[in-house]
Amino acid sequence: MAAAIEVAGISKSFRIPHEQRTYFKEYFLHPFRRTTYERNDALQSVTFSVDAGEFFGIFGPNGSGKSTLLRILAGIYVPDAGRVRVNGLLSPFIELGIGFNLELNARDNIRINSTLAGLTKRQLDEKFDDILEFSELERFVDQKLKNYSSGMLMRLAYSIAIQIPFDVLLLDEVLAVGDASFQEKCFTTFERFKNEGKTVLLVTHAVELLSRFCDRVLLLESGVVRTIGRAEDVVESYREGALVG
Amino acid sequence: MPYYLRVLRVVGAIEFKAKYAGAALGYVWSVAKPLAYFGVLWLVFAHLLRTANQTHDFTIFLLVGILLYTFFVDTVGAMLPSIVTGGSILRRLAFPPILIPLSASVGIAITFCANMTALAVFIAIQKVTPRLEWVLVPALLAELCIFCVGIGLLVAALYVRFRDVVQIWELTAQLLFFASAIFYPIGILPAWAQKVAFLNPFVQVMQDVRHAVLGGPSGPNDVTAATVYGGAAGRLIPILIAVFIFLGALAFFRREGRYFAERV
Repeated sequence: MAAAIEVAGISKSFRIPHEQRTYFKEYFLHPFRRTTYERNDALQSVTFSVDAGEFFGIFGPNGSGKSTLLRILAGIYVPDAGRVRVNGLLSPFIELGIGFNLELNARDNIRINSTLAGLTKRQLDEKFDDILEFSELERFVDQKLKNYSSGMLMRLAYSIAIQIPFDVLLLDEVLAVGDASFQEKCFTTFERFKNEGKTVLLVTHAVELLSRFCDRVLLLESGVVRTIGRAEDVVESYREGALVG
Repeated sequence: MPYYLRVLRVVGAIEFKAKYAGAALGYVWSVAKPLAYFGVLWLVFAHLLRTANQTHDFTIFLLVGILLYTFFVDTVGAMLPSIVTGGSILRRLAFPPILIPLSASVGIAITFCANMTALAVFIAIQKVTPRLEWVLVPALLAELCIFCVGIGLLVAALYVRFRDVVQIWELTAQLLFFASAIFYPIGILPAWAQKVAFLNPFVQVMQDVRHAVLGGPSGPNDVTAATVYGGAAGRLIPILIAVFIFLGALAFFRREGRYFAERV
């Protein structure tokens, strides 16, 4: 089967300065002081591939590099080394609460997001009502997003992400703040994507989601791939590791 | 419609609307601002100081200067903070980051078009004789756009790293207002200062637009790059500077843009 995503040896590190120098003054006051950095190796030669039509889980403790990995797959971050290949159209749902303009209403945010994601005006006109309907935010469409709750923002972001035409869907902690009824709705879409043969990458902490939906799961720890395998096995090995460690 | 234009249209229109939302007079303000500037300067120089006598058709002369300066400064001013204030969307979606500062400049371009209508009205009132050279004005404005966008991209990318850029730019814009012969004829400057001034493509465009629109007897206001640098080849100097700045800024922005998502 053709691979939807091929990741070969990607590494990414961030340099976190011990003191932020954003004004020239700091260079004048301390001309000889070298800026020192804390190096954070978020990902170290990560290699895996995801088959087309696969529902692929990514699992790991906080700060293990899951979101960095997803951002690299989405083309948002540039890896320091390695290669990423995505076959087909990709739609990302990345980290809650960023990327919306909170001073604008939902209508304008939907239009900006979908247009940037590549929708034509006609596609947008077709999809606009679907996006609103799925998010159940029709009543609030003309309200500024700063008045939205985090659950409402998440619904809006998820609705946009799944209405953009895609072959590969990246989902980062999509169910973190939704209520039960919206979760059920998301599960229905998950089933639909599986049936339609879409490729889905799901980053989550919820073990039951991994075993319910994922064909395979990747366990990421401190930026390194620990194991890839069936959900039950991976969760098992994570628990053992946590106990031993 | 190609992707870039579509984004500029949609995002530019939304931001333009949002900028004046809640203001009673809406975007009337954007047109009123340069006209108010113009009114004050016109009063001071045409009536109180009477330096206007030195220039032919001071009203249009001044209005052209102010409108072009406003366009220049506002474009750069809108692009400068755009990545820092509006860049968080780069953290959720992969798209060419240049679209952010370009979208921010769309509203300024719309305002400029409205202001050009005001200029047309003044030209009609002043009964300026139509001249063949008017057809050159769009080309000159295109050059100004290239220059403004070049500077805008440069400062927008720098601002992500250095927050001093705002202060530096504001000071520069202030100084340029007094140094660029906007409200006085450039001919009153010493020859060396004229040579320096014309290194700024904005000054060249402004002088050429004035020359194209007004023509008339060569007075101190009718100085162009060709006069200052001696010969037609001298015309190329500021144009090349504009193109060079644009291409350099574009390359710099592309290089930096790969990491905006990590830095904003």
